[in-house]
Amino acid sequence: MRPGAFRYVSAISLDEVLQNLSEFGDESTLLAGGQSLIPLMNLRLARPEVLIDLNRIPGLAGIDIVGDELRIGAMTRAVDVVTNSTVAGSLPALSRATAFIGHPQIRNRTTIGGNISHADPSSELPGVLAALEGSVTLRSIRGERIVGWNDFIVSTFTNSREPDEMVVDVRFPLRTGWTFAYDEVAPRHGDYPLAGICAGVQIVDGVVREMRIVAVGVSDRPVVLSEVAQASVGRELDETLIKELSKIGREELHANGDAHASSEYRKWLIGTLITRILGNFALESR
Amino acid sequence: MTASIDAHRPSLVGSSVRRVNDPRLLTGSGRFVDDISLPGTLHAFILRSTVAHGRLISFESGESPADIVLGPDDIAAATEPLPFVWIAPDQQHLHLPMGDTTVRYVGQPLGITVARTRAEAEDAAELVEMTIDQFPGVADSLAALEADAPLLYPDHGSNLAVDFHIGDDPDVLEAAMAAAPIIVSRRLRIPRIAPIPLETRGVLADWNVGTETLTVWMSTQTPHHVRDQLAHVLRLRIDQVRIISGDVGGGFGAKEHLYPDEVMVCLASIRLGVPVKWVEDRNEHFTATCHARDAVHDARLAMTQDGVFLAIHTKVTGNLGAHFSNVGTGPFRVSGLMLPGPYRVVNAGAKISGVFTNTTPTGAYRGFGMQEAAWVRERLVDEAARELGVDPLELRLRNVISSEELPHLTPTFQEYDSGDYARSLTMVRDRVRAHVPIVDPNPRIRRGIGFATHVEFTGLGPSVMQEIVGFRLGGYETAVVRMEPDGSVFVSSGVMGMGQGIETTLAQLAADCLGVGMDRVSVHLGDTAQAPYSAAGSIASRSMTVGGGAVVTAANTLREKILRIAAHRLEASAQDLVITEGRVCIKGDSSVGISLEELAEYSWLGWKLPEGETPDLEVKFVHDPSNISYPYATHAAAVAVDLDTGQVQIERYWVAHDSGVVVNPRIVDGQIAGGVAQGLGIALFEKVLYEENGQPNSTTFLDYLIPLASDVPDIVMDHFETPAPHIPGGMKGVGEGGTIVAPVAIGNAIAAAVPEIAGLILETPLSPGRLWELLRIGGLINE
Repeated sequence: MRPGAFRYVSAISLDEVLQNLSEFGDESTLLAGGQSLIPLMNLRLARPEVLIDLNRIPGLAGIDIVGDELRIGAMTRAVDVVTNSTVAGSLPALSRATAFIGHPQIRNRTTIGGNISHADPSSELPGVLAALEGSVTLRSIRGERIVGWNDFIVSTFTNSREPDEMVVDVRFPLRTGWTFAYDEVAPRHGDYPLAGICAGVQIVDGVVREMRIVAVGVSDRPVVLSEVAQASVGRELDETLIKELSKIGREELHANGDAHASSEYRKWLIGTLITRILGNFALESR
Repeated sequence: MTASIDAHRPSLVGSSVRRVNDPRLLTGSGRFVDDISLPGTLHAFILRSTVAHGRLISFESGESPADIVLGPDDIAAATEPLPFVWIAPDQQHLHLPMGDTTVRYVGQPLGITVARTRAEAEDAAELVEMTIDQFPGVADSLAALEADAPLLYPDHGSNLAVDFHIGDDPDVLEAAMAAAPIIVSRRLRIPRIAPIPLETRGVLADWNVGTETLTVWMSTQTPHHVRDQLAHVLRLRIDQVRIISGDVGGGFGAKEHLYPDEVMVCLASIRLGVPVKWVEDRNEHFTATCHARDAVHDARLAMTQDGVFLAIHTKVTGNLGAHFSNVGTGPFRVSGLMLPGPYRVVNAGAKISGVFTNTTPTGAYRGFGMQEAAWVRERLVDEAARELGVDPLELRLRNVISSEELPHLTPTFQEYDSGDYARSLTMVRDRVRAHVPIVDPNPRIRRGIGFATHVEFTGLGPSVMQEIVGFRLGGYETAVVRMEPDGSVFVSSGVMGMGQGIETTLAQLAADCLGVGMDRVSVHLGDTAQAPYSAAGSIASRSMTVGGGAVVTAANTLREKILRIAAHRLEASAQDLVITEGRVCIKGDSSVGISLEELAEYSWLGWKLPEGETPDLEVKFVHDPSNISYPYATHAAAVAVDLDTGQVQIERYWVAHDSGVVVNPRIVDGQIAGGVAQGLGIALFEKVLYEENGQPNSTTFLDYLIPLASDVPDIVMDHFETPAPHIPGGMKGVGEGGTIVAPVAIGNAIAAAVPEIAGLILETPLSPGRLWELLRIGGLINE
């Protein structure tokens, strides 16, 4: 399959992108890494009138700690997140989650902004952003706004970006005193997960002060497992609690079923992943 | 990966010569269909049905800007129906009509648009208006046999296309079953598989208006067969059609015949008088190229209280898809023929039911019915061992045909030739015994080792046998071996290279026979204007046995002629001469001799020849073998099963294998490893999914998973060599064995790891989701 005809704009500055977005709005699509868009265009499921290529614009990639946030430029490639020492030092869960994206060839092209914007419910990064309560920066010729993950990611392949806006960076809060981790089960390494978990915990004097836990690959967007988190507060993270939380997670979740995994199986996997991740937290906190 | 070879020979045969094509292929100089460009080439897009069952009531090309649009009526008017080659008993459909307006599967080709680029051809196709009156559809073979199922061919009165028995008479078999003390009976399923060659199908058709000839570059395993079919369908003389098959990126059976969409591309070139190219894209491949397998087996193994096998039988319900493929019920039939495997049984047979459904037709795929037979038989044997409470490997050894009993005629009329089946079992057993199992502190990780063994039907085949089974293809191969005036050697054969390395191994055979180095031999395949006629091409693991056997005899005959000429020149007796390192010399005295260059130069001049000898140094030999050749193997897999995720890890894999004389151990290792990888895919990942009504759900690599390099374990391989007694050179086929046995070796390993669910392992793929369901039924998933 080949794409239908489209107008191609190879932008050389962010201003040029924003001008084009302002002019063409809904009729335009931004090309970042192209790992999801190009197949959709080849299948003619995506048919933009105007394709605005972001790949030649300087300054859109980069990884920096600004205040208590890890800011990743929209055009930063997945491979650069996986290999970056700042990410490894400040938010290893993000390095690990990003390493689960596809295969090396795909990670060489995939961008962080593109991945988050695509809002694929099976993708790892929206789950990490949700667990951390992160946000994205949207810019247009009208100005700039910062939107939290919960408002940005709407449902399958749908975000709340206005047609004239572009995601310029993704912001992952660095929570002092917290430990985060990501794990998933996929049919083969690099596949979309059948289920994944990003969890974070703050343990003080052996007792859980706060927990965030998010499931991916089970619904139309990342699912915050708030009952699991609430049940953990004020408790010692031991085998009994982990078993209890795993059970709550399985009961709380409404998981989708498909040809690869039934709803019941996905719920079971979420319980398994909760047990494994929290078990590691318990080991580390000793 | 390790390999060991029994016999070491100081010759090219038996040595791991590097593959002659690899430098070219690995440096991007391969020439696949899509790499070939002719000036003025236009590009085609095939219009396909998106409906599983219905009638096309209108096809309007409208305002389409295409150079040409052909619909079903244009195609039907310009062509003859495409004949099938393997016809089942009482099969009523003998050919496939072109331009059929009854739609029976999603992906069925209905028309073609041609434009300057592929994208423009697709644009043009969007403007074609097709109206299809939709009917209810059915995808599952058992559902299609129910009374209220929609009928694909109402005139036929039923979706049951054909129904026949093979092997022992059904009454005899039922009597044997009735008298048996123990019967192990199971319903086993083998899922629908897509062949997935790296290179999809593709055609570049070039009709020359002046000479009225059609040259077609095509990715095919069977250039002559395709040529014959194409000439027939397009109403051309065979000499007007030339097929050139260059580099082929895998076939696995899917490219063994002509497809209707390929005819459409050729017809478009004839109409336009310019070259037209079409390369199937991956999305198309999932519905447009034959699938395979998709069989339900109701199987029984009868035995004594002591575990002595008495009889084996299966009732095969085979899903043919929307129409008979080129080979039709062939794979289901071969499942029955090879069901007894390496075991001594008194009675054996199968009932074969071929069923029409609204799915892509099923055809040939690596293993051709034998993977199904192995899954059924070797699972039954493990289940029998479980019921008897004996070791599954010991039960196999108790029943395996001994080397003294060979040759052995099975109740399904297979005359097994040579070998030592027990040795492959004990060799793997000993390897496994030496394996130190991993000790895991996690009780939710289970480990187990499974075995499976088989005998395989390779090297199709005696032409007379193909007549008996209604397979309308000659079973012979022809080789032309010529020493050129400069002493270099030209080899031509009708078999086809498709990545299996046959160009290298045929050169090794010829070089060895003629006493020259590999660098003096070139092998020419795939061009019907040059290659000798091959009816069947490269299918059924026959290239090395039948094609290689032809090269051995032709090269040896040429060698004899060279020795006669040299004897005349050297005033010696031919029996006293040897060819070594490019020279013919007196045995034991290399100072007296003549170089092949000089000998060839003078021979082609017609000078200094013995009386009655012709000047040409060329031999053509037609090799029609007297029997199938039967390699065999035992595989074992060590797996870890994670009870909390349903995931299976294959930690170790062993193969002991005898495919007769091994011409190139590295290539044989590669064939087995690739086969095991494909078998692993069947075991754990692969299944083409359809909705009940025939809408396909596996049309991308997101939905249809194949193994990645990291999923394939290290494989420990032991080869031993029992020459095929009836094949010049002694080779047996090696293309398919890995795929045949691997799924059930892995299935048996999972059963061994988790005995609680052993009786539930009846169907592949054992994907995490599916295995988890079994674990839950088995009581291993507790909240």
